Amino acid sequence: MTLHLVSERPPPSEPRAWRFPEFQRHDVAGGRVLSCHLPGRPLAVVSLVVDAGAVAEPAGRQGVALLVARALSEGTAQRDAYEFAVAGERLGASWRADADWDSLRCGFEVPSGELLAATELLAEAVREPALDDATLDRVRDERLDELRVDLSQPGPRASAAFANAVFTPASRYSRPDGGDVTTVAGIGAEDVRAFHGARFAPAAATLVVVGDLAATDVEALGRSVFAGWSGAAPASATADAATQGGDRRIILVDRPGSVQSMLYVGHDAPARRTPDYVPMTTMALALGGMFNSRLNYRLREEKGYTYGAFGGFDLRRHGGVFVARTAVQSEVTAPALADLVAELELMQQKGLTDDELDRARSYRAGIFPINFAGPGSVASGLADLVVHGHPDDHFDRLRAEIQSVTTDEVNAAAATRLRPDEVVAVVVGDAAAIGDDVRATGLGPVDVVRDED
Amino acid sequence: MPTLPHYPFSQHRLDNGLRVVISEDHLAPVVAVNVWYDVGSRHETPGRTGFAHLFEHLMFQGSKNVGRSDHFGLISEAGGTLNGTTWCDRTNYYETVPANHLETALWLEADRMGGLLDALDQDNLDNQRDVVKNEKRQTRDNQPYGRWLELLHELGYPPGHPYHHSTIGSMADLDAASLEDARSFYSTWYAPDNAVLSVVGDVETASTLHAIERYFGGIPAKGSFPTTPPSDVPPRIGQEIRRHVPDRVPLPRTFIGYRCPPFGSPGFDAVEVMSTVLGGGRGSRIYKSLVLDRPLLQPPDGNVLSPWPFVGGAALLVADLPAREGVDVAELEEAYHEVAASVVDGVSEAELERARALITSDWLHHLATVDGRADTFSQFTTLFGDPGLVNDMLPRVLAVTEDDVRAAAADVLREDNRVVLVFEPSDEPDEVAA
Repeated sequence: MTLHLVSERPPPSEPRAWRFPEFQRHDVAGGRVLSCHLPGRPLAVVSLVVDAGAVAEPAGRQGVALLVARALSEGTAQRDAYEFAVAGERLGASWRADADWDSLRCGFEVPSGELLAATELLAEAVREPALDDATLDRVRDERLDELRVDLSQPGPRASAAFANAVFTPASRYSRPDGGDVTTVAGIGAEDVRAFHGARFAPAAATLVVVGDLAATDVEALGRSVFAGWSGAAPASATADAATQGGDRRIILVDRPGSVQSMLYVGHDAPARRTPDYVPMTTMALALGGMFNSRLNYRLREEKGYTYGAFGGFDLRRHGGVFVARTAVQSEVTAPALADLVAELELMQQKGLTDDELDRARSYRAGIFPINFAGPGSVASGLADLVVHGHPDDHFDRLRAEIQSVTTDEVNAAAATRLRPDEVVAVVVGDAAAIGDDVRATGLGPVDVVRDED
Repeated sequence: MPTLPHYPFSQHRLDNGLRVVISEDHLAPVVAVNVWYDVGSRHETPGRTGFAHLFEHLMFQGSKNVGRSDHFGLISEAGGTLNGTTWCDRTNYYETVPANHLETALWLEADRMGGLLDALDQDNLDNQRDVVKNEKRQTRDNQPYGRWLELLHELGYPPGHPYHHSTIGSMADLDAASLEDARSFYSTWYAPDNAVLSVVGDVETASTLHAIERYFGGIPAKGSFPTTPPSDVPPRIGQEIRRHVPDRVPLPRTFIGYRCPPFGSPGFDAVEVMSTVLGGGRGSRIYKSLVLDRPLLQPPDGNVLSPWPFVGGAALLVADLPAREGVDVAELEEAYHEVAASVVDGVSEAELERARALITSDWLHHLATVDGRADTFSQFTTLFGDPGLVNDMLPRVLAVTEDDVRAAAADVLREDNRVVLVFEPSDEPDEVAA
């Protein structure tokens, strides 16, 4: 038998129509519930989205939101941490609790038949957490250990140094959303209790339930969380996003013994609700958000400097950042850094081609059905609607906007939203090995940061 | 206990030996295409560690009718995702696409299954060799504790054993890989009769099978393959092997590896339940004793104990024990061994129920997506010749009894059956082999 392959790529068949899954809003016992019935899924997600993200933290206590998220499952008025864990796990429920810039989200993934029992546990955790001194000290110390391990890794180290160099010290965005060793070390048990007390209230919380809800009384889930829960809504948090400004500069973070350099190159960006959100983020896909993006193609597929190069926006409710990032072998730190800056300049000045836009657009519009195929991602999408105040038809409108964005719009966004002359370039690597090369790039003044000890 | 879903499927074999599994799922308009080749790092020859994985990269560099960056390009433009991975026992390649692009994914997979050599050249090899060396730097050499995986392989299995080296291989061996090696590796292992193709999603079985015939049916069978290197190994290591590893790390961390029965055997099922009782979730014995009661252990993100599902000879059960700041690493290890030893004395029904519920949910989570399910159909067909294990494996694990769990603990968690790696902070780390 001789080899026979079909030489022509087959055309796609007609796509099946897709819309974001239909969902309902309920007002239950003074609280808000969003529910989405996705038939046939054995596991469901129940999650409480609370307006208690990092931007709501008091100065000097950065990282307290994440400590509250961690502490919720560490014991309640009715059971200790171990009993709480076992109660959930015997339902087959896995607990997740996390805080990001704009929200705190906690809840379970659970077999749909156990939704009510899991939701009752969730209610217990958010309304009656024990938050006792001994537990809170332990949770804080565990977090400090975690931060020490994080900072020994080049990625988190670069990310923290980048935030610190871009924003002014008074801005919440100048430190990681989970805080840093200095701020977390200063958080006492009373700070955790105070943040929970101030931010957790029915008017600041939305319950999201997604899965096969055919046999579930959604209103009963809502009652188990909201009935009898009182408390005034906290003021909505805002964040100062002031930047340090200035011309392009390099921060070289010394990490002796590194065999690679971690590069983070970027600057501040507008908040999520910017009117040119679709043009600017579609541009970023072509620049650094797809495998065949310019950054990955140049640095990985052409030059072999790296395992991968990426770039994109992280847009929050009150501000954001643009970052291009890659880890390269130490010997090519300087040319890789120059390439990153050159790619930003090229995109900023010339924009992208019609073909590039076609590819970015069809990827981004096409991926919706895959991204929202199951309860976890749909619940997370609904939580995003809550956090950013988007309308109910947000995802369908977003998809339509992506499909119709033009080259002119995208290139206008590239021209204004990329600022290669003003980037902060963080390099985490072995300063003794790469310092001279980095200085010789002439890309900007170099500030070397070493460990305090 | 939730009602367990039963996933429908049909299995087929083309004349060229390609095994095919198709499973319809019309919940979302998406489809997963997944190919497993029965070749992994255990098939590598001496001096060529890391080659199976380097080769996997070359499979994305174009083929007879596909341009160099088109594999990623065409799938992305279709609104899909894709990747490939290599492990000891296999290499897999997969795409998830909107269902109307099914044939694009099939065409791409067929073209590289049959026509890779037309595109393979020295430039691609040199470029991807650099990429893979940077992958090794990024994921191992430049990370704290980065050597743990490689050391568990080296110390858990004797020299010459197929699991003695890890999948990423060594820099020297990657440097030595030649274009001729790549051609010969492809000609030896990449053929329809050494592969399984699974398609799961919003498709119709008959027309899908027809399309598969059209794209893959013209690829000749190879007929025979070298025998897999022998993986027989004593079920126990025979002594405790202990290695102190000075490293640039902020806190000490201890890894312990035990040989255990291979994946697919009843013994492995018992180890899975035993390790969940002991170290799975926050209601496990280790979490209670070492995180909650005495603050010795950093709370794990996942499980403290994970069985690595090798199919040849013996698998490896791995404990990951990062110490809290200020904790004496010997005290942590002693406390861990004490808790581990307690399983032999008995396990309550409540503990078993908790473990079964967690294992069930983990399994349902794993199978919830079309891509997770497609990979599992390919896995069970490749390793055990039985795609039905997608439905039958979990009930088997849930049938493990208390006696089985106690026996597994007595058999596996032994001093004479463990590799202990102790990472401790140092400014003068051991040289990483260049």
